[in-house]
Amino acid sequence: MELAAILIFVMALALIALEWVHRTKVALAGASLMVVIGVLDEDGAIAAIDWSTLGLLAGMMVIVGLTEPTGVFTFLALRVAQLSKGRPIALVFLLALVTGVLSAFLDNLTAILLVVPITLLIADLLRISPIPLVMVEIVASNIGGTATLIGDPPNIMIGTARPELSFIDFIVNLAPVAIVTLLVVTAGLALAFRSRLRVAPERAREVAALDAARDMREARYVGRTLAVLVGTIAAFFLHTLLHLEPAVVALTGATVMLLVAADDVESALERIEWSTLFFFLGLFVMVGGLEERGVIEDVAQRLADVTGGSTTAEALVILWGAAAGSAAVDNIPFTAAMIPVVDSLQGDEFNDALWWSLALGACFGGNATLIAAAANVAGTGILERSGQSISFLRFLAIGAPVTLVSLFIATGYLLLFQL
Amino acid sequence: MADLRDLPLVQASVADSATFGEAVSTLFAAQVPALAILAGERIVGILSEVDVLRAVFPGYLAELRHTAFVEDDPAALDERARAIRDRPVGELSRTVEVLDGDDSETHAAERFLHAGEQALPVVDENGRFLGMLSISALCHARLDRAADEELS
Repeated sequence: MELAAILIFVMALALIALEWVHRTKVALAGASLMVVIGVLDEDGAIAAIDWSTLGLLAGMMVIVGLTEPTGVFTFLALRVAQLSKGRPIALVFLLALVTGVLSAFLDNLTAILLVVPITLLIADLLRISPIPLVMVEIVASNIGGTATLIGDPPNIMIGTARPELSFIDFIVNLAPVAIVTLLVVTAGLALAFRSRLRVAPERAREVAALDAARDMREARYVGRTLAVLVGTIAAFFLHTLLHLEPAVVALTGATVMLLVAADDVESALERIEWSTLFFFLGLFVMVGGLEERGVIEDVAQRLADVTGGSTTAEALVILWGAAAGSAAVDNIPFTAAMIPVVDSLQGDEFNDALWWSLALGACFGGNATLIAAAANVAGTGILERSGQSISFLRFLAIGAPVTLVSLFIATGYLLLFQL
Repeated sequence: MADLRDLPLVQASVADSATFGEAVSTLFAAQVPALAILAGERIVGILSEVDVLRAVFPGYLAELRHTAFVEDDPAALDERARAIRDRPVGELSRTVEVLDGDDSETHAAERFLHAGEQALPVVDENGRFLGMLSISALCHARLDRAADEELS
């Protein structure tokens, strides 16, 4: 049964990485197979599902889905384009900043879905190629999302799996390194892309003349929607004091949002991406199967043997290993498998440095390849639908150096401040 | 029983070798929401008004929800129109289901509701194109018949 569990999981990872079949179908098929052949029983499968992660994701999907019609995200993206006054380096830094901050407080996939379409329009108005700007945004979304518990799916999974790690803990321990990394990487990308982002002064003047707030003025429920969004983010900061899990905060925020800003509950709930939630559900069951059959324990033991029990070595192996694994197969399934490994590795003595290593590795590793993070697939997908495209190798040529630089910064940070 | 052959089908079609510009002219003249793209007598796809809209305006518009602040950029729109005008329409058409000439009006109505199309091609038993049926033609014929029945 142990071999069967490993085979099913590895095949599922391979199929997800190759994108031959939709990843949700793969995860659900793998989970079903594990239950049907008896790798784990029905009760074990239900117990393996992390309902808090699903609740947090669903809640944030509703909140963001109902905030989007206010036009506030379009306003922000257009405003930064105006503020850049057509200067390429300023444009890159401002778009990276907006994307990074939105990723940290919404989540990186949502940030990309909100920012990339308006970026295509801005690039069109400025008569420049959108590809460098979208690449900067994808990179910024993965780095910005690293900063908080809700910013990137790996962090959501880690935060809900380890309740000892609060929203504030994530910010205190990850935001500084995320900010430094974002600045360094954005500076590199701005220098690399600056010649492709030259804007004619008359185009910059035309963009500056646009009325960025017009959509917001015409939208309904702007004030109350933004109040609920800000209130929910504030509640995340205070969730430990309030004795509320992040999932409860998100679902409560979503409920309040439905009460105050949704004319039609049915269409509001259509904003929930069910395929994503079922993808997570399938992954949790598959990882539950690996745990049930002792595979996770074996991997943790081997890792402990390799590192000789040194926490520093363990943290660095987790950091670089998580980045490599995420680059190869997508950081969500990789993190789902690694969480019980790290849990087992630390034993009874809780060590948050190992968790920060996993978060940094998985999130920063998400920049390495086109398939490493959901935000990358979504961003390049929007580009492709608009008639532009980025090949796997072209993405790798930008993503790999970005990831290496990020990992070196993360290594230095862990050695200096966490280990 | 009346079937779809009895309805006012519109002969709106172009060959797949026609240019996009020619197809749009035919579509405009025929005054139906979509036309059939034919290879000989065989349907290879349709081109609807929404397809034309997507081709003529930037592709990213479908991803955007807020554009009230945007002002037209005639030079960019002209450039895009020139780039698309002479492309073979076969490259831009898409396949859709077809209605059979002997299908019922109720079945056609159900397909319109679920296919999300404003007009669908109707074919005979050999798959030959009979004409385009639009939602308005289907409903207008039904209302007319009801009125005729009332008078008689």
